[in-house]
Amino acid sequence: MAQHPSLSVHQHPAGRRQFLRSLGLGFGLTALEALGSSRLQADGPRKRTRTIDPLNPFASRVPDFAPRAKSVIFLFMVGGPSQIDTFDYKPVLQSLDGKPVPDSIRKAVEATKHANVFHGCKPELMASPYQFAQYGQSGTWVSSLFPKMAEHVDDIALIYSMQADSNNHAPASYQLHTGDVRGGKASLGSWVTYGLGTENTDLPGYVVLFDAGPLGGNANYNNGFLPPAFQPTRLRDRGLPVLDLLPSTETASGQRQSIDLMQKLNQMHRAEHPGFTELDARIANYELAYRMQSAALNVGNFEEESKHTHQLYGLDESDPRTQSFARKCLLARRLIERGVRFVQLYDMPDKDGWDAHEKLTNNHDPRARWTDKGVAGLLTDLKQRGLLDSTLVIWASEFGRTPMMQGTMGRQHNAAGFTIWMAGGGVKPGLRIGGTDEIGLMATERPVQFRDLHATILTALGIQFENLSFEVNGRDERITGVAGTANPLLDLLVT
Amino acid sequence: MSKNNIPYSLVCIWLWSAIATSLTAADDQDVLNGQAVSLLRRECVSCHGPDKQEAELRLDSREAIRAVVQKPSLLLERIEHQDESLLMPPKRRLAEKDIAVLKTWIQSGARWQVPVQWKSVTGQHSGTIGDAWSDPKNPIRTLFRGERLDLWSLKPIRRPTIPLVNDTGWCRNPIDCFVLAKWGSEGRTPAEESPESVLIRRLSMDVTGLPADFTHVQRFVQDSSPDKWDRLVEQKLSSPSFGVHWARMWLDVVRYSDSNGFDWDEFRPNTWRYRDFVVNAFNRDEPFDRFVEKQLAGDERFDGAPRDWDEQESLVATSFLRLGPRDNAASLFNEQDRARAELMSDLTETTASAFLGLTMSCCRCHDHKTDPLSQADHYRLSAFFAASHYADDVPIDLLEEQSSIREHNQKLDDEIEAIQKSIDEIAKTVLQRKPTKEDAKKVKELMNAEQREQVHQAEKKISAIRQAKRSFINGLVMNDKADSVQPTHVLMGGDHKAPRELVEPGFPSVLFPNPPILTRPMKPNSTGRRLTLARWIASADNPWTARVMVNRIWQNYFGNGIVATPNDLGVTGALPTHPELLDFLATELIESGWSLKHIHRLILSSGTYRQKALADVVMTEGRDHATLRTHLRRKSAEQLRDSMLHVSGLLQHKLGGPPVWPELDGATLAANPAVLDDNETKTKGWYPSHVSQQSVRSLYLIQKRTIRIPWLETFDLPENAVSCGKRECSLVAPQSLAMMNGSLSLQAARQIAETVAKEPQGTMHQQIEEVFRRVLSRSPMENELNSCRTFLESRTLVELCLVLLNTNEFAFVE
Repeated sequence: MAQHPSLSVHQHPAGRRQFLRSLGLGFGLTALEALGSSRLQADGPRKRTRTIDPLNPFASRVPDFAPRAKSVIFLFMVGGPSQIDTFDYKPVLQSLDGKPVPDSIRKAVEATKHANVFHGCKPELMASPYQFAQYGQSGTWVSSLFPKMAEHVDDIALIYSMQADSNNHAPASYQLHTGDVRGGKASLGSWVTYGLGTENTDLPGYVVLFDAGPLGGNANYNNGFLPPAFQPTRLRDRGLPVLDLLPSTETASGQRQSIDLMQKLNQMHRAEHPGFTELDARIANYELAYRMQSAALNVGNFEEESKHTHQLYGLDESDPRTQSFARKCLLARRLIERGVRFVQLYDMPDKDGWDAHEKLTNNHDPRARWTDKGVAGLLTDLKQRGLLDSTLVIWASEFGRTPMMQGTMGRQHNAAGFTIWMAGGGVKPGLRIGGTDEIGLMATERPVQFRDLHATILTALGIQFENLSFEVNGRDERITGVAGTANPLLDLLVT
Repeated sequence: MSKNNIPYSLVCIWLWSAIATSLTAADDQDVLNGQAVSLLRRECVSCHGPDKQEAELRLDSREAIRAVVQKPSLLLERIEHQDESLLMPPKRRLAEKDIAVLKTWIQSGARWQVPVQWKSVTGQHSGTIGDAWSDPKNPIRTLFRGERLDLWSLKPIRRPTIPLVNDTGWCRNPIDCFVLAKWGSEGRTPAEESPESVLIRRLSMDVTGLPADFTHVQRFVQDSSPDKWDRLVEQKLSSPSFGVHWARMWLDVVRYSDSNGFDWDEFRPNTWRYRDFVVNAFNRDEPFDRFVEKQLAGDERFDGAPRDWDEQESLVATSFLRLGPRDNAASLFNEQDRARAELMSDLTETTASAFLGLTMSCCRCHDHKTDPLSQADHYRLSAFFAASHYADDVPIDLLEEQSSIREHNQKLDDEIEAIQKSIDEIAKTVLQRKPTKEDAKKVKELMNAEQREQVHQAEKKISAIRQAKRSFINGLVMNDKADSVQPTHVLMGGDHKAPRELVEPGFPSVLFPNPPILTRPMKPNSTGRRLTLARWIASADNPWTARVMVNRIWQNYFGNGIVATPNDLGVTGALPTHPELLDFLATELIESGWSLKHIHRLILSSGTYRQKALADVVMTEGRDHATLRTHLRRKSAEQLRDSMLHVSGLLQHKLGGPPVWPELDGATLAANPAVLDDNETKTKGWYPSHVSQQSVRSLYLIQKRTIRIPWLETFDLPENAVSCGKRECSLVAPQSLAMMNGSLSLQAARQIAETVAKEPQGTMHQQIEEVFRRVLSRSPMENELNSCRTFLESRTLVELCLVLLNTNEFAFVE
C-alpha cells in the first residue's frame, strides 16, 4: 500500500538531509549552541521576540555582543549597474566580443537555478566599452566609470560573487531589502532599529532618502510585519524634510499656545483615567514632535557645512542630478552624526535607474557621473571625521547585468553573479571575496546570497542574527530566513 | 423580564438548542450518546442541573454523569420505578424507547455526547485511517510519535455547560456566567459598569466606526425605558455603517489590495466589488458558512452566466483567491513557475490563516516544528487550488444583462454592416469591380468630392455607433480549468524546482488523513476541489473555523482575543484564556445558522462589555484578564480619519463603488517609479479623484501595494501582502505631526469653526460649548471652559477646534 505522503517525504535520503538542514543542523555546532542557550533563557518557548516597550520603542538597546559598527548607510543603486563594466574586470570577455557564450559556461549556468539569465538576451557577448585600470595598494581593477570611487579601493571590501533568487527587479529588490522575493516582509532598516533602537529620539531611527524610490515601491523599505514604530521616515533633501513637519501659516504663530492648551485638557482627562500609560505616551509625543520640528530642520541646514565639504560631495556641480545625489550623501552623514541608526539612500533620479537594456553607455555614463563624487565624498568625509569606524557603508543593487548583449548594445538583468562593496564599521579594508566565471556571468567562487549579506551586516552591528526574530502567524520570521541557512562572511569583518 | 431572570431563562434556551447538534451523529454509538444526552436534558436537567440540584444530583455534564455511571441503579431504577412517588420524572413515565436508550447508553459506558462528528457532515472520506487519537496508523501519530495531540484547538467544539454563579445580578447573559465563574474562583470581581454616556460612545465606535453625536448621547442618557440598550444595539447593528466598519477587519485578514504589487503595481479596477461584497454580506448577516463558500468556490456554485445577485456575488467573491500580490512581469524573465508557486503558497497560507487559524506557512519547507501538521499537509491543502485559473474573460453581468448587451451590440453590428455595405458600393462603383483590402488607397484617390463626402459621413457614423457599443464587466474572478489541472507535489524545502511526492487534495491529516470525496461542482470543466474545501471549512466538522471567527469578533471589541493570536491556534500561538467561553460562542455561531450578528448581539448585551475601562489590566492582572476587560484603545487609522470627517460634517456617505484616490504630492508618488512610467491602459499611474469626492469613509480609499497613503500609514495601516489578524497600535511622534500639521485635521478644524461661527447669537461661551459638543459629544466642564476662554482671547476658533481634535479624549476609544 502506498504510504501517506506525510510519511513518505521522510524516506528520501535527500529529503531527510534537507529536513535536517532546515532544522538548522546544517551549520556549526557553536552557532547552534549559542542559539540554544540564549533561547533557553527566554521565558519559555512561546516568546522569543525582543521585548519592545510600546511606550518607548526606540530606546537604545544593548547589542548581543560588542558591535563593530553603530550605524549603517546603505547606498542602493536601483536597477542593476553592470558588474563587468564597473568592478569585475574580465579580460576574456574583452576578447570574446561578438562571440557566443563559451559552451562550458553556458552549460554550467543552465544546470543551475539561474538558467533563465539567458532569457531575453542575444547569444553574443558584448565586451565592456570601458577602460579598466588598477588602483591602490590592493591593485584593484576599476573601470573608467568611477574615477573618484577608484581612489577609495583600499577602504572598501568587494564581494564579486553576489547572487539573487529572481532575475526581475521587484522580487530581487525585495529580497535584498527584506530577505524574501515576495515582498511584504520587514526591511533591513526596520530590523536593525527593531534590534537596536536609536540614539537620538529627536530624529527618526530609520531614514529613507530618494528622488524616486526603488522598483517595487515602498514594499522594499517598509516595516512589513514589524511594529509600526519601525516604519522608515522619508526625509527630503529639499524643501520641508518631513511630511507635515511644520504647522500651516494659519496656526503656526500659536502652535506653542495650542500645545499648551491641548496638554492642559489632556491632563484633566488624564486625571479621570488614572494609570493609563498610553495617555502619557501620547502627551509626551506632542513634546517630542515639537522638538523634532527643529531637529529635522536643523539636520537639513547645509549652510552649516564648509565650502570645502560642499565641493567634496559635489554640491557645487552644475548638473542638478549630481547635486541632488550629493545632497543625499551629505544628509546621510549629518543624520549618522546625530545618532540616526540606519540610512537607506537610493540612487534613482528617474524611472529607469541603472536598468540598461538598451545602449549601456547612454545609461551608465551619466549615472556614474551623477553618483561617483557623492559616494567618494561621503567615504572621505566619514573617514576624516572619524565616523567611518562606526559606520557601515554598503554599495549594492538588486542584481548586475549580463555579459551577453541585449537589444542594441544593452545588457539584460543578471542575478547569477554581481558585485557589491562594503566599507567602514568592522569591514576589513581592501578585502576581495568571491569571483565569477571568465566572462563575469555567474558566481563560481564562493557564491554569496543576500541572507549571507544580511547576516554579515547584523553581525557587524553586534546582533546575533539568528536571534533577531519576530513571530508572524506562528512562524519566527528572520531577515536571514527561517531555514537557518545564512552564513555570515566572518572573514570580511575585523576581529 | 426582570434582569435577574435573564440568565436562567437564557440558560434553558441555550441548553435546548444544544440538543439539536447531538442528533447529527453518524454512527450508532454516537447517535445513542446524543439521544441519551438530549433525553437527560429534556427530561431531567430542569431539576437536576444548574438551576436546582434536587437530591444533590446533577445530570447535565460529563462530570456530573460520572456518579450515575458508577451507580447505574440511581437512574435506571427510578425511571422504571413502580412506586409513583419514587418515579422519575415525577408522575410521568418515559416512553419505552427512551428508557431503552438510557439503558443501553449506561450499559455501554455512558459516553457524554459528542456534538461534532468528524465523519458526519461531509461523510465522504473514502479511506479507512482514523484520526490521530484513535488510530495508530494515522500518519501524524506516527510522524510525531503520538505527541502534539493534546493541542486544545484539535478537540471538537463542545457546548460547555453554563457555569453556576452567585452574583446573578451582574450576569446579563451566559458570557457573563463564564467570565464571572472564572473570576469568582480567583476572588476577582467585575469592574463597575461604565456610565451610559461612555457606553453609547463605545458602542457607536465599536459597531459603526463613527462617534456618537452629542444629541444621541443626550437622548440615550435621558431615555428611561428598560430596553433602551437592546434597541440601541439593534439600531447600530442594522446601520449600513456596521458593514463598512467591520469589513475593514475582514479586508485585513484577506490581504485586500486594489493593485498587483511588484514592479508595476497595476491597479485592478474591479477589486472594489469584492470589498462591497464583504460590506453587504456583513450588513445583511450573510450566514458565515455561505460567506466562506462564496469566497473559496463561488464559481463552482452554479453554471453559466449569473442569474441573480446571489450568483453574481458568488463570482465576485472569488476575488478572495486573487487578492494576493501578483508578479505580472515574471514571464518576461521566464519565472512563471515561481509566480505560480507563490500563488499556490499564498492561497494555501491565506486560507489556513483566515479561516482555520492554522500556520501552514510553517510547513511549506518541512514538517511543522510544533504543530501536528506535516509538510505534506501543506501541499494536500494547496492541491485544492491546483486547477485555479485567472478568469479575466468571464463577464459578471447578470444573464439578462448579458443577453441585452449582446442584443444591443448585435443590432449595432448590423447597422455598421449596412453602412459598410454602402461604402463598399461606392468603392465598387469607383473601381468598377469588387474591391480588395489592398485597394483602399486607390479608391481614395479615384473618388470624386461627393463620393468622398459620402464615405466620410458613413465612416463617421460607424465610429459613432462603435462608441455606443456596450461592454461586459469582467470582475477579478478565479475559476477552474479542470482539463489543465497540474499535479501537486510536495516541494523539497519549499523550492518549486524540487518536486517530490505527488499528493491529492486533503484536509489536515491529524484528523482527516483520508482523501475526501470531491463534491461535484455545478458546472463542467471545474474540479469541485475548492467547493469541497469550502464546504468542509464552513462546517461544524472541523474544530477551527467557528472558533477562529468568534475570536476575531471578540478581539475587535475587547482589543484582545480570547486567543491572543487570531491567526494561530497552534502550539506557538496563545492558549485561550477562557476556553469554555470560546467554545460557547463557537457553538452559538454554528447553531444560530452561522449568524455573525448573533455573536455581536451576544457580546454587546453582556455585562462584560459594559464594564468601565480599567488601566494597566495587563500589568496588574495579567493578560488573561485583559481579554475580558475593556480598556482605552487608540482609534485605528480609519476610525480616526472618519471621526474627524464625521464631527466636522465633511463626511460623504458613499456606499460602495470604485475606490477614491486622494491627492498625493509628487514626492510621495515617486515611491514607486512605475508611476512615472504610466501606460496607455492607465494602470500604473495615480489618478486623483475630484477634490469634492475625497471625504469618504477610509474603507473606500484606494489601497495600492507600493504606494500607501501616508496619513493612514502613519497610523499603522498594516502590510497587505499576507493575512493580518491583528493590527499593531503604535503611539509615535510622527502621528502628532500628522494631527497637528496635516491638512486633514486642519480642514476639519476649519469646517467646524465655520459652522459654529455661523450660528446666531454665538457668544464665546456658546461657541466653546458647541465645539465641545461636536468634537467630543459632550459639554465642557467649568475648568475646561475657562482654559478655552483664555486661549480664545489671543487665538482663533479654528485653532481651538484643532486643539480639541488633537486631544487624547478624541484619539482614544474608552
